[in-house]
Amino acid sequence: MELIVNGKKLDVREGGSITALLDELKINPLRVAVQLNLEIIKRERYGKTVLKAGDRLEIITFMAGGAE
Amino acid sequence: MEKSDVLTFAGRQFRSRLIVGTGKYPDYRSMQRAHDASGAEIVTVAVRRVNLDRNQESLLDYIDTKRYTLLPNTAGCYTAEEAIKTAILAREVGLSDLVKLEVIGDQRTLFPDNEELLKATKVLVKEGFVVLPYTNDDPVMAKKLEDAGAAAVMPLGAPIGSGLGIRNPYNIRIILETARVPVIVDAGVGTASDAAIAMELGCDGVLMNTGIAGAKDPVAMAEAMRHAVLAGRLAYLAGRIPRKLYATASSPLEGMIE
Repeated sequence: MELIVNGKKLDVREGGSITALLDELKINPLRVAVQLNLEIIKRERYGKTVLKAGDRLEIITFMAGGAE
Repeated sequence: MEKSDVLTFAGRQFRSRLIVGTGKYPDYRSMQRAHDASGAEIVTVAVRRVNLDRNQESLLDYIDTKRYTLLPNTAGCYTAEEAIKTAILAREVGLSDLVKLEVIGDQRTLFPDNEELLKATKVLVKEGFVVLPYTNDDPVMAKKLEDAGAAAVMPLGAPIGSGLGIRNPYNIRIILETARVPVIVDAGVGTASDAAIAMELGCDGVLMNTGIAGAKDPVAMAEAMRHAVLAGRLAYLAGRIPRKLYATASSPLEGMIE
């Protein structure tokens, strides 16, 4: 199914959770915040939140930088 | 210097009065070495989308979160709403409840939009954030931010990255006279003496990024800044001599050789 992750189209397995997605993308769940369709998802719910086709995710972390 | 001369805000204590950033370094390794050389205990970070390219190195691989306190900033935000959203996401990462609140009013100067900044400060304070707002050197604004619950006020010395130093020391002194929270100069520091001057005025700390990251030798400059902040603080505590128009001789006038 197709998701939109950080503004980019991504094809993933059907029925996967946020945990599965982070795992597939090799993203450490302890270093990110996740927003699913404008709602922030608490970390303890990553495993229980199943993604659907067309879901928009923002996976946020800390990057180098300051004033831009 | 007293062992107890620490920077305190929101119930936390820091021995170093220098806060550094993570942007504009040539690479992560030199950033890490510069952080080490600076003696800083607080490091600012930006809040951004994860880079989905799996081969990218991660910033957090180069910052020991047991050693450094992370201070997420809301760089790139032009409205209170954007800054609030960014701060909330930053807190969700779970590594810090501090926020360096930046709400920018103008792209060229990167001066703060104080109206939006104050709005965002009030909301974030209510949400339990420790808010450190980047503002200008307006004492009236500084008071409003303090009254709104900011844990410190951070007046700019000069535009971000400009290296112009402390352009209005008089306003900063006025802010220092009435502030009941720490005053940390944020932005504009270009070289060591700028940082020393900020501390000599009586500021509680200095925050800088470009001054170090953009130097020809960031690691050496980080070390210089460490000394500058220490020297400026010591000089402030030592109590300087007054400025006088005329000389006052240091040597006695008796016993002169004829």
